[in-house]
Amino acid sequence: MMDDLLVQSVLVQWRVNGKLHEIEAMPGMSLLDAVREQLGLTGTHMGCQTGHCGACTVMLDGRIVKSCLTQAATLPRAEIVTIEGLKRADGTLNPVQQAFWDEAGFQCGYCAPGMLLSAMELLAEHPDPTDAQIDTGLAGNLCRCTGYRSLVRAVKAAAAKMRETS
Amino acid sequence: MSLYPSFARPNSLAQASELLAGLSGGSVIIAGGQEIMPHINHGAMQPDIYIDIGGLKELRGISEADGVVSIGALTVHRELQGNAIVAEKLPMLADAASRAGGGRQVHNRATLGGNLVAMHPLYDIAPALLALGAEVELVKAGETRRTSLAALMHETSHGLGSEAILVRVLVPAMAAGTGWAYEKLKLSGGAYGSANAAATVQLDAGRITAATLTIGAVADRIIDAAAAVQGLIGQAWTAAAAEQLELRCPALVKQPLSDQQGSGEWRQAMAGVVARRAMAAAVARAGQK
Repeated sequence: MMDDLLVQSVLVQWRVNGKLHEIEAMPGMSLLDAVREQLGLTGTHMGCQTGHCGACTVMLDGRIVKSCLTQAATLPRAEIVTIEGLKRADGTLNPVQQAFWDEAGFQCGYCAPGMLLSAMELLAEHPDPTDAQIDTGLAGNLCRCTGYRSLVRAVKAAAAKMRETS
Repeated sequence: MSLYPSFARPNSLAQASELLAGLSGGSVIIAGGQEIMPHINHGAMQPDIYIDIGGLKELRGISEADGVVSIGALTVHRELQGNAIVAEKLPMLADAASRAGGGRQVHNRATLGGNLVAMHPLYDIAPALLALGAEVELVKAGETRRTSLAALMHETSHGLGSEAILVRVLVPAMAAGTGWAYEKLKLSGGAYGSANAAATVQLDAGRITAATLTIGAVADRIIDAAAAVQGLIGQAWTAAAAEQLELRCPALVKQPLSDQQGSGEWRQAMAGVVARRAMAAAVARAGQK
């Protein structure tokens, strides 16, 4: 009788970057694969698939998560924001993206999508973050180019800009 | 393994338990996914059936009654860090949860239950819960059972077994004035610990009247260092007492881990170092509000 609960795929409904999608999630498939392969949003990067690098970070119901560690079928309904959803309505960069651009926060850019989403959660919680809070906020994201100093500068610049305009 | 795995999302604990009892293996329980998805992504684990327990409300919520804090297994690290009951009654658990690696993304999604069931020797939550004398509530084939976390963690690989569900963790509220500290020795910010220790202590007129100490990340099981703290009871925390504690702990590490976090010999030595630091910090905090 309980076998009735077993299904071969799960129909999930997600609002991704403001747009409603309905997709068929196969058991075992990660949120990362669903976003990249089924929704074609390839700005979310695949790095290690073990949860170490953070390149695949997306926002799920308002909190950052590693999409490679999240199974798509376990999310019947979800609000998801990816890097593609960060730009402003007029198509320009949001203040965090702009600060990363201005402060050389991008080099090869591979970690950037995840780094930006982590920076956004950090700044939402700490509008004027200390160095220690920035280190903790970005601890789940690896960058092999910048040595992190320009990332810390970028977060501080974004914080200053956001406090100025809010 | 199956080329066509299936998936179930039961909507009650009774239903989940019945479902698990009726399956003949090859199934895996999933909630936050932080522990098992790496194995699935790399093909090291190929379950036939996924049982998603993320919808079970019986596994949610944090409450306190009769001096015991009851924490649902689906509670994520972030909630442990910020919950008012945990902050007031179990500050050491809140602190240990904030020290877990993987970054904020993992803190947002990794569950208490998954952390414990993983039985990973390098994780941060179990040493703190063991030092606090935690118990766990399990459901297997419809039967609810309560046992000490220490008993559950005695088996390193299969303490629970695939048919049991960890429902709640029950932790005695820390008595007012209890000193506590969770000490983690690590090589870099997001890294696993090379040795960690959780300590609680009660002082009366400067003398230690009770103490607990656990040491993790140095062996495949978390070590209960009760034997090492026994000698401290009735004593004041002096430089000599600290040295004694540091020297007693390495002998409790019978088979040290030797991995990327450091060699076995060094880990044994560090077991003493983190134990001393944790106890010193716990003593310093004792009696303070």
